[in-house]
Amino acid sequence: MLLSSRTPADGLTVFVKKECPTCRLIQPVIRDLAKRTNSIIVFAQDDVSAVEGLAVIDDTSLEQSFRQDIEAVPTIIRFANGREVDRTFGWNRDEWQRVTGLADLGRGLPHMQPGCGSKSREPGVFEHLVARYGDPGLASRKIEIGEWDDPIEAGFERGWSDGLPLVPPTDERILRMLGGTARKPDEIVGRVPPNLAPCTVEKVAINAVMAGCKPEYLPVVLAALEAALEPIATMHGLLCTTCSGSPILILNGPIARAIGMNSGINALGQGNRANATIGRALQLIIRNVGGGRPGELSRSTLGGPHKYTFCFAEDESDAEWTPLSVARGLTRGTNAITLFQGDGIQAFIDQRSRSAPELARSLAMSLLAVGHPKLCEFTNAMLVLSPEHYGIFRDAGWDRVRIEVELHKAMVRPGKDLIQGAQGVGEGISPSRADELVNKFWPEGLLIVRAGGKAGLFSAICGGWTGGRFRDQSQPVTKEIRL
Amino acid sequence: MSVSAQLRDPTAEIASELRPRQSPLPTLEGKCVALLDIGKMRGDEFIDRLEILLNARGIATGRYKKPTNTRVAPTEIIHDIILNCHAVVIALSDCGSCTSCSTHDLFTLDGRGIPGVNVITEEFADAFEVQRCAIGFDGAAVVVPHPIQHRTRTELESFADQFCQEILARICSRPSAGRVRAGQT
Repeated sequence: MLLSSRTPADGLTVFVKKECPTCRLIQPVIRDLAKRTNSIIVFAQDDVSAVEGLAVIDDTSLEQSFRQDIEAVPTIIRFANGREVDRTFGWNRDEWQRVTGLADLGRGLPHMQPGCGSKSREPGVFEHLVARYGDPGLASRKIEIGEWDDPIEAGFERGWSDGLPLVPPTDERILRMLGGTARKPDEIVGRVPPNLAPCTVEKVAINAVMAGCKPEYLPVVLAALEAALEPIATMHGLLCTTCSGSPILILNGPIARAIGMNSGINALGQGNRANATIGRALQLIIRNVGGGRPGELSRSTLGGPHKYTFCFAEDESDAEWTPLSVARGLTRGTNAITLFQGDGIQAFIDQRSRSAPELARSLAMSLLAVGHPKLCEFTNAMLVLSPEHYGIFRDAGWDRVRIEVELHKAMVRPGKDLIQGAQGVGEGISPSRADELVNKFWPEGLLIVRAGGKAGLFSAICGGWTGGRFRDQSQPVTKEIRL
Repeated sequence: MSVSAQLRDPTAEIASELRPRQSPLPTLEGKCVALLDIGKMRGDEFIDRLEILLNARGIATGRYKKPTNTRVAPTEIIHDIILNCHAVVIALSDCGSCTSCSTHDLFTLDGRGIPGVNVITEEFADAFEVQRCAIGFDGAAVVVPHPIQHRTRTELESFADQFCQEILARICSRPSAGRVRAGQT
């Protein structure tokens, strides 16, 4: 007897799909079972004609497949007293005979043949089914959008957006995003300024969804947030400042290539999903979890486009180059993210320098302009060295340390030229330093990163945030990325 | 409300899920209040009287009228209010579509820095609540009796008299500061 119930009952339940060759192969077995037993239900995931001659129940919604946790088809399950007592999947005569308790099944068929994956386990499907039929296990407040309302507009209307459209954070998208980490959704990553609100992994995932991240970026976003929440990163001040500073994120390690980050042509620009969305996710977390909204507690006088997102990978293709993360204490090959508190780029143009000393002097001239030419040890700076400029140093045998030493040396100036009022300009260093030789940056205050397309004698300087003048209180942070 | 999508709150949930409205103006002195007629019958009689009451308090007003109560206000009207006024009173919604559309207008203007209040009839107080929740906006309303379409002009004017102070309180933190001119209400 075929039961008409839509839910499994005591007896045998079989899940099939018509497109599965093994399911087609065992059609005679299922018909045989229907004749020999009075309790069998057959669910089809794609087409109710999957077993010719039998009334098959439509499970194209995949609800029953989800509820019975079907991973492959065909699957046969025996229920007794309302509970599952045995199951097998694929075709294996011995297994099917054990589950059914019937002998002599599938005469003429091969002894065994593997099945196919269940439609309920196809990429992206499972999270939909969890959201629809299961318990997504999410703690965040539900926001219901009216039948005639646009979920993307809802993101703007609720003040979640940085000004650009957001991907609506539905349960299925959040669950997919959480699949990018082994960390539990309720784990608190830290307290996000300016409200110092606790931020869970789930909140990070929601904002990563909205930013447009892929799940594989989530560990990077989590590490970026952890870097931002290190006290020495001074994210609170960086967010509320009237200056233009904002987190700039630099990735090192194999994960950069694995997730497709750009360290080459237009590395600091648009066009790469990972570069664009990881930086944006951090900004959205600060906005939404921390409450750092421009015009309220985010008070930058001018801001800058870098405050939407600024994230890129270092070019580690030259084995002789010491990557930024290694220079900052991690071992080569470690996945790491460095947060530098900086502004948008100041282009550096030099198409004439032919030697390393000449290029160092030239770079120093531009670096001296960071913040203000007469301010010293007031901000940090990041130099993004393009391949052609780096090539001049490399050909001269200059490594990272040598370049840094030579640049600092080229930026030492007499204090009398820099004190307040000197050169007819009020801004400047303290008059008490008039007799000193003054460095532009602290020794550790100049970060050098390699990136950019192979062609072009153009590099970039990112001025640091003024919080860097408190040398021991505000510093760049490098964190290992936990996968 | 039928639900088309369910999202999850990306915030720390330490505040209401409704976006706060603009703070009321500290004073209406030297300010201009937009009186936005939603374009439905009888609303103008209420607004005519309200305008007299505001002007009597020395409050400048600007009159606007939507071409229909069944759509949100045209962009030209919204822009004109933003450029020339400092607060808005939207009146008088006594049906579902006008309540929904006027709440969107209130939301749009609030988002551009114009504090406002929506005047609706008591029958549609729940519709206003549903609409403002659906768009996530802690909008303000003043609820007047329902229905209004069969009222006399005198009755509508008496509603304006009765609710004027409450309307002003939604757009100004010190609404009583304005002086009433001699001989006026």
